Amino acid sequence: MERLIEILEDIQPDVDYENCTDLIDGHYLSSLDIISLIAELEDEYDITVPAVEIVPDNFNSAEKIMRMIERLQED
Amino acid sequence: MDLSFLLAGAGKTMTSFFSMTYLFVFLPVCLIVYAITPKKAKKYVLLAESLLFFWLVSGVLVAYLLLSAVSIMCLGLLIGKLQEKQRAAVKELPKEEKKAVKQEFIKKQRAVVFLGVLIHIGLLLVLKYSGFFLGNINTLLAAFNCPVEMYVPSFAMPIGISFFSLQALSYIVDVYHGLVKPDKNFARLLLFLSFFPQIVEGPICRYGQTASQLWEVGSIKYRNLTFGLQRILYGMMKKLVIADRLDPLVKKVFDEPNSFDGGVIILAAVCYTVQLYMDFSGSMDAVLGTAEIFGIRLPENFERPFFSRSVSEFWKRWHITLGAWFKDYIFFPVTSAKRMKNLTSSARKKLGNHFGPLVAGGIALFCVWICNGLWHGAGWNFIFFGMYHFVLILSGNIITPASKKVLQKLHINASGLGYRVFQIIRTTILVIIGELFFRANGVGSGMELFGRIFTDLSFRSFDEFLLPRLGVDIFDLSICGVTLLIVFAVSIINEKGVCIRETLAKRNIVFRWCVLYMLILFIVVFGAYSFGYIPVDPMYAQF
Repeated sequence: MERLIEILEDIQPDVDYENCTDLIDGHYLSSLDIISLIAELEDEYDITVPAVEIVPDNFNSAEKIMRMIERLQED
Repeated sequence: MDLSFLLAGAGKTMTSFFSMTYLFVFLPVCLIVYAITPKKAKKYVLLAESLLFFWLVSGVLVAYLLLSAVSIMCLGLLIGKLQEKQRAAVKELPKEEKKAVKQEFIKKQRAVVFLGVLIHIGLLLVLKYSGFFLGNINTLLAAFNCPVEMYVPSFAMPIGISFFSLQALSYIVDVYHGLVKPDKNFARLLLFLSFFPQIVEGPICRYGQTASQLWEVGSIKYRNLTFGLQRILYGMMKKLVIADRLDPLVKKVFDEPNSFDGGVIILAAVCYTVQLYMDFSGSMDAVLGTAEIFGIRLPENFERPFFSRSVSEFWKRWHITLGAWFKDYIFFPVTSAKRMKNLTSSARKKLGNHFGPLVAGGIALFCVWICNGLWHGAGWNFIFFGMYHFVLILSGNIITPASKKVLQKLHINASGLGYRVFQIIRTTILVIIGELFFRANGVGSGMELFGRIFTDLSFRSFDEFLLPRLGVDIFDLSICGVTLLIVFAVSIINEKGVCIRETLAKRNIVFRWCVLYMLILFIVVFGAYSFGYIPVDPMYAQF
């Protein structure tokens, strides 16, 4: 989780990733941030994030992003 | 016996949700028949009413809708079968072999999706765009003195093809992604595509949003009936009192771009933007209100777009379902392609976190806006309209870091009221310029109109002869102004998260009916209909 928060802070600083639960719905992360984030996650965690996974529900909090990563690692 | 009426339908008398035929004959009859039908059969009645409506507005062209439904059902089931086989095939395999087998099946599923895209986009290309493309090829051939001239066909298009084609495609892609299960029930799938309030102008719904709601419809409830009718009335006010009243002025100026000075062109561009918003959002009120009567919640298409602080935000609040469709089915799939991801990674390393993703994002954004422009119509002015927004949104993203620095240096509070108002006005002006080109009869005419704002900016024609020349009078403009103030007040209240209909429902019956009677009376007295007015077709139905 620490590494994920580092990645998020690198892409978009000044957000409380520990507690924020509306990263997408609250417009903290833009579509371009998501593109960056996905490229970074794929390199870091050796996963492939298909377009179908790019829904607000998977990106609204650091915890949800982590859950998606773990799910994709299992696939 | 003459059966030609079976081919023709009822024509244009039904396309507007505010036409007398629709409001006082079709809709009431539909509601009565639906209400007296036993609960189990209501969904079939809704389907029959939807097909009847589609036949009435498009005649024999209803065949396209049926063809679309049949094709997505077959393709959806085929994808489902392949997914089942894939699950069975990989079940016993070791992890390292699983991936290769999975890839094989995914390839086959993609081929099926491609076939669906080919059918729907191919049909759209032939019906909607072939004339435009072939016409341009002929112009090009003539420019090079080539003696060949290609035949330019002209096809009759069913109303709403641009809307239901996108719904059909989203279903196939969602089945492929495993978001929805392939539907074996043809009637349910057909109802999802054809639900009559939304077939002419949207909203563009996803299968997961509406299919089961439509299939599980129940009795009409008093609350849904009153809330739905109130929303239809509000939409009617927007369309009949504002949009249709402005039509003669807009038509006159845009049809005669050389006849007016810059001041009048600015007035016409503002009036057209207001007309388009009132027409489309008013029709959406009628659509969502009608669906609400049946107990169906359709997705909203507008969220007070003229409160947006940037063009990018504007498109998140204007025609929301179209923007969301392009984001989900074009923007993210393009940026998720392996090569694009590699491009993002390498660009981020070279250009940093902000500019890096703009390379792949810009390419995807270009695809979105070329499609958005063409979706609205086969014409260079629509392509120009798309490219105009592409440039605005991309440049908005590029200058974000610099503008943040400038604001800091100038000690301007970016979240302060003054700066927010400035952003809203700036966005509105940019949108109005875009709409000027959108409405113009071609890019040349748009350039002529836009150019005159700068080369001939005067208000000399604002005399007592101007308004009669534009086909309106001071009464028309005053009524539009007052009604716009009502819409503005309602928008501010809605923006604060207050639902006026909920608030009204809590008041006593005398107050409630006073408000409703006033609204009805207002529309009856000030609506632009009947003698002396030419009915205006819903503007988005032609797309």
